[in-house]
Amino acid sequence: MSQLQSMVPDGPISEKWTRHKNSLKLVAPNNKRKFNIIVVGTGLAGASAAASLAEMGYNVKAFCYQDSARRAHSIAAQGGINAAKNYPNDGDSVWRLFYDTVKGGDFRSREANVYRLAEVSANIIDQCVAQGVPFARDYGGLLANRTFGGAQVSRTFYARGQTGQQLLLGAYSALMRQVNKGKVEVLSRREMLDLVQVDGMARGIITRDLATGEIERHAAHAVLLCTGGYGNVYYLSTNAMGCNVTAAWRCYKRGAYFANPCFTQIHPTCIPVHGTYQSKLTLMSESLRNDGRVWVPKDKDDKRAPNEIPESDRDYYLERRYPAFGNMVPRDIASRAAKERCDHGYGVGETGMSVYLDFSRAIKEQGREAIEAKYGNLFHMYKKITDENPYEVPMKIYPAVHYTMGGLWVDYNLQSTIPGLFVLGEANFSDHGANRLGASALMQGLADGYFVAPYTVGHHLADKKPETIDTTHAAFDDVEGQVRQKLSTLLDIQGSRSVDSFHRELGAVMWDYCGMARTEDGLKQAIDKIKDIRSNFWQDVRVTGQGEQLNMELEKAGRVADFLEFGELLARDALAREESCGGHFREEHQTEENESKRNDEQFQHVAAWEYHGDDAVPTRHTEELIFDNVEVTTRSYK
Amino acid sequence: MNWVVNTLKSSVGKKLLMGMTGLLLCLFLVVHLAGNLLMYVGPEAYNNYAHTLHSQEWFVMMAETGLLVLFALHIWLGLETSRENRSARSQRYRVKRSKIPGRKIPFNVSPENYMLMTGVIVLAFLLIHLGDFTFNLTMPEELEGREPFDKAMIIMRHPVSFVSYLVGVILLGWHLAHGVTSMFQTLGLRHPKYDGLTQKAGPVFALIIAVGFASFPIYAVLTPYDPYAAPAAEESHGDEHSHQEEAFVVPSNITTCNLASPAADLI
Amino acid sequence: MKIKLHIWRQSGRDAQGEFKTYELGNVSPHMSFLEMLDVLNEQLIADKEEPVAFDHDCREGICGSCGVVINGQPHGPDLETTTCQLHMRRFKDGAEIYIEPWRADSFPVLKDLVVDRTSFDRIQQAGGFVSVNTGNAPDANSTAVPKRDADLAFDAATCIGCGACVAACKNASAMLFVSAKVSQYALLPQGGPERPIRVQKMIAQMDKEGFGGCSNTNECEAACPAGISVKNIARLNREFISASVASDEKME
Ligand SMILES: Cc1cc2nc3c(=O)[nH]c(=O)nc-3n(C[C@H](O)[C@H](O)[C@H](O)COP(=O)(O)OP(=O)(O)OC[C@H]3O[C@@H](n4cnc5c(N)ncnc54)[C@H](O)[C@@H]3O)c2cc1C
Ligand code: HEM
Ligand code: HEM
Ligand code: SF4
Ligand code: F3S
Ligand code: FES
Repeated sequence: MSQLQSMVPDGPISEKWTRHKNSLKLVAPNNKRKFNIIVVGTGLAGASAAASLAEMGYNVKAFCYQDSARRAHSIAAQGGINAAKNYPNDGDSVWRLFYDTVKGGDFRSREANVYRLAEVSANIIDQCVAQGVPFARDYGGLLANRTFGGAQVSRTFYARGQTGQQLLLGAYSALMRQVNKGKVEVLSRREMLDLVQVDGMARGIITRDLATGEIERHAAHAVLLCTGGYGNVYYLSTNAMGCNVTAAWRCYKRGAYFANPCFTQIHPTCIPVHGTYQSKLTLMSESLRNDGRVWVPKDKDDKRAPNEIPESDRDYYLERRYPAFGNMVPRDIASRAAKERCDHGYGVGETGMSVYLDFSRAIKEQGREAIEAKYGNLFHMYKKITDENPYEVPMKIYPAVHYTMGGLWVDYNLQSTIPGLFVLGEANFSDHGANRLGASALMQGLADGYFVAPYTVGHHLADKKPETIDTTHAAFDDVEGQVRQKLSTLLDIQGSRSVDSFHRELGAVMWDYCGMARTEDGLKQAIDKIKDIRSNFWQDVRVTGQGEQLNMELEKAGRVADFLEFGELLARDALAREESCGGHFREEHQTEENESKRNDEQFQHVAAWEYHGDDAVPTRHTEELIFDNVEVTTRSYK
Repeated sequence: MNWVVNTLKSSVGKKLLMGMTGLLLCLFLVVHLAGNLLMYVGPEAYNNYAHTLHSQEWFVMMAETGLLVLFALHIWLGLETSRENRSARSQRYRVKRSKIPGRKIPFNVSPENYMLMTGVIVLAFLLIHLGDFTFNLTMPEELEGREPFDKAMIIMRHPVSFVSYLVGVILLGWHLAHGVTSMFQTLGLRHPKYDGLTQKAGPVFALIIAVGFASFPIYAVLTPYDPYAAPAAEESHGDEHSHQEEAFVVPSNITTCNLASPAADLI
Repeated sequence: MKIKLHIWRQSGRDAQGEFKTYELGNVSPHMSFLEMLDVLNEQLIADKEEPVAFDHDCREGICGSCGVVINGQPHGPDLETTTCQLHMRRFKDGAEIYIEPWRADSFPVLKDLVVDRTSFDRIQQAGGFVSVNTGNAPDANSTAVPKRDADLAFDAATCIGCGACVAACKNASAMLFVSAKVSQYALLPQGGPERPIRVQKMIAQMDKEGFGGCSNTNECEAACPAGISVKNIARLNREFISASVASDEKME
């Protein structure tokens, strides 16, 4: 479709970004301070972008819904961040990181973007170290690396099991420095509820002050959306409770295309569900698979305690099926393999919906201390939640929704189909294709924020006049009116069911029909069911309290209302993509060995959806993916 | 000198000064205890020591001024920081419990919760103490012209003094049990090799001070020694003292024990 | 399990608050503490009452959003555990539980159990950073950092900014929080150039926000879910002494 201009520059892949940077227009230094930029979200992508833009001289307003910018969900990332530094001298290079990421994404990502990501990855580590991020180090005082899924080299930098926390606090400190200098204003406890466009350009947002309930207008010359992923459409996920699709969804409804919403990542190692009151799932970092071995009993009816089952009666099914990568296969493959075992009745635990992750060999070989040094906080967390000691008994794990590769469509400059609206981090449809490799979301968030957006946003602004934008413009009146309308509708329904009960119901449908395995029939049913839940919601939801106060029920209601619309789009996208690739597995499209079967002829493209109205069917646009530099092969980890 | 003002205005600076004055006061206590321990050597030794000390007028002056400054600073800072600390939380908790694992002393009687209270009681004790020994307010006639040792015995046998001395020094110990360890932390004196030592320093020092000082009133009550045996007001130097009393306002006949030289030097 | 809850309810920032009592019937010992509150809130919504407001987000002990005082103990009875990681198996059947917000004048209550902790952000703004612009960094391995220092810096850096230290401290002091940040940068060579000015500015801001001083009572350390040690406070004191007495770096 001609509308989707990817803006990928010409030239050999290794020179595209450098050439492009050289050709980008610049804003004169004394003009920069006349431009205002809104950054929604203070996760890795948002904080790094806001800080970098402020350093360059722009005036930045940064928004987050938490009480502090430091609490964005990036804080929860555990395992690590990839970078093609090749410090361990094991043959890594920008090219290999690029190749692994494209292959890991099952050839559904844009080559040029991925190459750029691999290229700037090394600078990220330099930047973070300079900020005082305390990465793990060897005895010689130099940086340490570990291995992550889908790679055969050691290129993952980490800070014990709290890498995301340390990186985010680094970016947050850079942000705080700019606040101190007066270049950034952080507006916390603010939720973006809509996008305002003036003359077809993104020129502002409407927010709600979550502490007071006040509806506010903010204007700027560009808007950067860094609002994270939509995994919470499944209700249970490893995402934070507040993660939402609202900001992205409202932009979609204002004309931004939504790309590949069906590409969701189910992470193989999470703590299994244990009760109906459960509010969220907890991830056990993928890095655990470096030393942990995944197994189930060979015999379905083996009810012995795990430690009593001898080696000969254990089925280390990942090592069996994928001898080359073993326990280190990519996430989509590990997740499906676990589901396969459990569906066939080999699962363990009370519900039969979990498999073992066993550290006994690693503890025997390396000693308990070494394991504690690597994973101490994860083991501690596991014990807290399950009351079992993973040093003695194998962990029980099961896949859970974790990450969303889909998101708003962006071009090479990270600009959406709405001029002036840029999308960064997990919120864009990103560089990960149909499956993300471990430790590359942090990399992408920071690459976007530190090293890409600051240049491309400048290019966008270069030919604009830095005139002041008036928040009394009719466009603001209009959008604010709609926002207020929606809030008061929610408050007025006064039905009988809580917001959470609808969210749970939606989540169950999403998990059952749009989870690890999808079918045409199931997806069609899902669409109908979601419509039902949605119409019930708008008749029967009960939102307590008022709008002009701190009202967490109202916050949730708005988010769930958007999920109820978005879930349908996700199902539609999954239905339209008649192939299996990465995290998207259609049962109709598999090999005899139950591996996914891609359809490159028809689906080697990005699907980007255009909104036409609440009751109209959205249009599916496509952006063809061209692979000039890597050979498109069947992904194999055997 | 702006930095001095700034430093002392900050909470950390105030606490620092508190720690330093506390440390110097502790040194004074050591010296004071050592001087008083001469009681056990015998009246002679004690009296000699007292007289020798009192003959160094300029030194006594310096030390007294130093002590006064130390006490004044320490007390003022104690009151000031306590006030600031209290005002940081105007709405109190309904229920409050410690989370420190394996506490030996229950949270609600633990010394760190009573620093101001023990401090104020020590101050009260100090006023009584100075009234007794320095200003001769409690029983001026009885003490008139007596030897230091006899004076001490008479004072400490007085029921009110006896009780207040015991209570005073025990609470001083309670103050120091936290105070001394705390001081190391405040002055940033922590090191993995010596942490064990500094953690114990407070309670041990407190015990030595409390037991040491408490032993004197107890000894005074138990000993068969008769302080009224020697006639009063015949010593020649007694007169010299009364001169000075007028000249300097601060009477110098209190200084039997005032060997606070290290403290004075450091000031 | 049956549980009796006494919860602080306060409708807004300047409103008068009070304890309200609620009974909960079917609490599972496997629930987290916040899931128990979720269940209570469902019950309140069913009764057309306003649910109890409390901050939370990650529910895995890392974002630092959650935190209430449970029977007098910030984050409840377990060590190195946030409220969201606390589980009901820690309580006896029939237990009576008092739930209060963090109480400190620098953390005003916004509603029920929700407090405003932006004072922490302002302390960080005063000096909790290394002044390095994007793109100016040398190669990450150009400076070796002794592993011991890196590990200690990491230990300090794990602070989640929850404010339990302030809540636990009898002086509502933020010293543990501030010392953790100051220590992280003091231990790493990257933080070196700004050491003297950083500690002075952060402490000045801490005082300005109205936090109390430190009396070395160590309650903060025990309440800290990230296990931040009070040794960092000693380090902060040391940093402050050398900065204010020995350095010519002045606050403007
Ligand atoms: C448990 C877990 C572990 C992970 N581990 C790893 C790992 O080891 N390695 C790796 O590479 N990746 C990991 N990931 C993925 C990675 O953490 C995320 O993809 C990445 O951090 C997303 O960053 P972000 O900046 O895009 O968004 P986020 O960090 O999610 O930030 C979103 C921001 O947007 C704000 N926001 C959202 N909606 C609104 C709104 N409507 N109005 C105003 N503000 C809003 C939020 O307040 C927040 O500040 C993990 C993810 C999870 C959940
Ligand atoms: C001989 C007498 C005294 C000695 C030796 C002494 C010693 C000490 C010491 C060593 C400290 C610890 C300082 C630190 O943590 O750095 C301290 C703290 C304190 N002192 Fe004293 N003190 C004495 C008398 C008093 C008096 C009379 C008061 C009366 C008001 C007082 C009030 C306090 C208070 C309130 C603290 C606690 C300060 C805090 O922890 O923040 N002290 N003292
Ligand atoms: C219980 C045992 C104690 C005895 C027997 C004792 C005895 C004395 C004596 C004999 C004097 C000197 C009077 C003089 O020279 O005129 C004195 C002074 C003093 N004592 Fe004590 N003392 C005791 C405990 C304490 C304690 C616990 C403190 C501290 C808190 C203290 C603080 C002082 C001070 C400040 C002076 C005045 C010093 C000066 O002005 O130079 N004493 N004491
Ligand atoms: S020091 Fe500990 S208690 Fe204080 S804010 Fe940090 S993590 Fe929370
Ligand atoms: S509890 Fe408070 S007194 Fe100091 S040691 Fe911790 S800040
Ligand atoms: S909710 Fe994030 S730490 Fe508890």
